[in-house]
Amino acid sequence: MSKNSTIGDSKIDSNHLNVLIIDDNEQITKMLTTFLELKNHKCTVANDGKQGLTLIHENKYDVVLLDLAMPEFDGYAVIKSLESKDMLKNNKIIVFTASTITQDELDQLVSRGVTSYILKPIDIDLLLSKIIESATS
Amino acid sequence: MTVESIVENMFELDSPINELNRLLVKYGLTQNQAKVYLYLSKMGIKTASEISKSLKIPRTETYHLLSTLQQKGIIFSVFGKPTKFNAVGIDESVVILLNNEKNRINELETGKESIIKLWKMIPKYSTSKEKSDENKFQTLQGRNSILVKLEQMIKESSENILVLGTELDFKKFYHTDFTNLLKKTKSELRILTDYSSKGMHIFEDIPSKKIKKLDDKNREDFCFIIKDDTEVIFFVSNSELKDMMALWTDSKTFVTTLRSLFSLIWKKAHHIDESNAESLLGSEITYEHRLREIEQEKIILNYLQKNFKLSEKKLGVKK
Repeated sequence: MSKNSTIGDSKIDSNHLNVLIIDDNEQITKMLTTFLELKNHKCTVANDGKQGLTLIHENKYDVVLLDLAMPEFDGYAVIKSLESKDMLKNNKIIVFTASTITQDELDQLVSRGVTSYILKPIDIDLLLSKIIESATS
Repeated sequence: MTVESIVENMFELDSPINELNRLLVKYGLTQNQAKVYLYLSKMGIKTASEISKSLKIPRTETYHLLSTLQQKGIIFSVFGKPTKFNAVGIDESVVILLNNEKNRINELETGKESIIKLWKMIPKYSTSKEKSDENKFQTLQGRNSILVKLEQMIKESSENILVLGTELDFKKFYHTDFTNLLKKTKSELRILTDYSSKGMHIFEDIPSKKIKKLDDKNREDFCFIIKDDTEVIFFVSNSELKDMMALWTDSKTFVTTLRSLFSLIWKKAHHIDESNAESLLGSEITYEHRLREIEQEKIILNYLQKNFKLSEKKLGVKK
């Protein structure tokens, strides 16, 4: 069953999400894209923070999966940049990380405006439900 | 206490007067000129003979020293027989010496063009062909020599300047043109340095995005600056060296090696203004982190293989 929500003026169809993945792990981005596309979602990939940030500025995504640890321009830099432009809360950003990070630190990110977080590794069905939940929240 | 014993105490090895003497030498005085000036400034009006006797400087040399100090304007003579001498106050003397040095630099600046012009008038006698690709090395000793080279490198840079070193290394150049030039450079600037909340004043006007934190394990005793991937100045650290020492080279091998080292550390380092959470995350992708990533890859791959019969080859991923 499809779940609908709105961001600004646009309606979000939980069966056809427009997802941006920002992650430097090409194995994960390739497989996750295949998985999400097989589930009828549209997927765009950025393999570094800078590219991801440009895509966020130029397009509208229902949800953004953001890895934290990336070389050069990492997930924190993306969050900081969006925060400085007052854009963090207007985007559904899910921190998707394998980094060692405490609950306090995750809560801090959420209080800054990050929608949610997913810690790797995660079961794929759970991952999808988290993506949908965040996109339609 | 006799005058001689007072003078002996004045110039004892650990006396502050020796430090003063050393400082005055920096302002253009010779050791003995500084000694005579300090003697007069502390002992008051004296004859040349008294000065010579107290400081154990030959009388003829003493007259010569007094004459030079008078010309410099930091002592004056009192008419009488015999002629007596006294020192101008220290505040005024420092200003006079400073201005003398400034005037000397101005004269040197003016003479620069003449030197080049005259040099060009003399024909070149060397017949050997100069190799343009040979590696050049220069050993620079003393803060000033190093500073001149650093300023030249930054001024001439058109692409990038990479700086690696601790706060302590850079503090030596605080309040010099080096830091001002770094702030103004149009080249891409990257600075890797250690960080403490008390420090960093030296980089206070440089955007924080250009600075990354040098972590503990990379905070070794090395400090270098690379210009446009073509030149490097490498500081030689040795506690036995009284003066600063550095090696400058345009050796491609040397520059490339240090450039690679810089890139490697830069890539893994974090910007100085990142939050505690970010610094706790560390600059390195840990072994555990990588294991979790691999586990995540396996989960997605298994799912795709099981539910959609997709092979790794078809997915374009490596095992």
